[in-house]
Amino acid sequence: MSRSDGRGDRLKSVPTALSDVDRALAGVAPLPRSNGELVFEEPWQGRALGMAVVALERSGISLVEFSRYLSEAVARHGYDPDEPAATAYYTAWLDALEAALAERAAETLG
Amino acid sequence: MTEHHDHDGHHHHPQERSAAELRADALEALLAEKGLVSAEAIDAVVSYYENDVGPQNGARVVARAWADPEYRERLLADGTAAVKEMGFTGFELNTLVAVENTPGVHNVVVCTLCSCYPWPLLGLPPTWYKSAPYRARVVAEPRAVLEEFGLELADDIELRVWDSTAEVRYLVVPARPEGTDGWSEEELARLVPRDAMVGTGLAHAPDTVGSGEPF
Repeated sequence: MSRSDGRGDRLKSVPTALSDVDRALAGVAPLPRSNGELVFEEPWQGRALGMAVVALERSGISLVEFSRYLSEAVARHGYDPDEPAATAYYTAWLDALEAALAERAAETLG
Repeated sequence: MTEHHDHDGHHHHPQERSAAELRADALEALLAEKGLVSAEAIDAVVSYYENDVGPQNGARVVARAWADPEYRERLLADGTAAVKEMGFTGFELNTLVAVENTPGVHNVVVCTLCSCYPWPLLGLPPTWYKSAPYRARVVAEPRAVLEEFGLELADDIELRVWDSTAEVRYLVVPARPEGTDGWSEEELARLVPRDAMVGTGLAHAPDTVGSGEPF
C-alpha cells in the first residue's frame, strides 16, 4: 500500500550496515543467528542476504518496506519441522525479494 | 526434492543442488542482467557483514557514556533502552545491564554455563570467553585470572563477577582514562578495547592509541 516514490535512490559507498538490517527486521522476522553469528546452512543463503541488500538499495526499497514482504512470505511459507530453519527463512526471503521487486517494477510502469 | 529426472549419461551436476539454491542463482542472474546487482557488490556486502559485528558498537556506547553524563545515567539505569537509543537492538529477548568501574570497584563478566555474551555490542565472543578454565576460574579466583590477562588490581579494589544468563547480559563501562578531556566520542571510542568491556582489561591510555597493540 504505502509507497515511497521520489526517495530512496541514494547510492552509498558503504554497504547498508548489518545493524540497520537487524533493526528493520527486529520483531518481524530477524535473521537466523546462533549466539550472535549469522547462520547459513548453505552458501546461497548468505548470497541471498547480500543480493537483497544490494537490490533493495538500488531499487529504493527500504528495509522496513521489505520487512513487510518478508513477514508475509514467512507466514505463507509455513513451518515444517523437517526443514532446517535458515533454509526455510531464506526461501521465504527469496519470495519476499521477488515480490518487493515485482511490486516496485509495477509501480514504476504504472 | 524428488529424484525423478533420469540423468544417466549426464555428468554436469557434480553435486545435488537444492531447488532454493537454483532459484537464488536464477534470481541473481536476472537481477545482474537488469544491472541491479553485481557479483562484486554482493561479495562486498557478504564479507562486510561477516566482519560487521564487532566490539566497535560497545565502544561507541562507552564513549558516549563518558562524554555525556545524562546518557551515562540512562545507560546504568536501563542498558537495553540506552543502547537501543543508539540503534543497537538484539536485546529483545534478554536484558542488557551496564556495570560501571569506579575507583573502588572493578567488574568482570563471565558466562559460567555456556557463552552468553552481549554480541550486538561486542561481536562474537573470543575463544577464551567460551573456555572451561575461564568460566570456572574467574569465579573462584578472579584476581589470579585477571593477572593472567595482565591486569593487576590493588587489594582494596572490590571485584564483582557477573554471571551472564540467557536473560541478562552485561557490559562493563571501564573508567575513562586521564588526559582525555575534550575528546570527541569518536576519539574516545578508539580507547575502548573489547576486553575492557568484558572486564579483563582496562581502557587504553590516550598516548597508546595507534601504537597498535590489539588486546
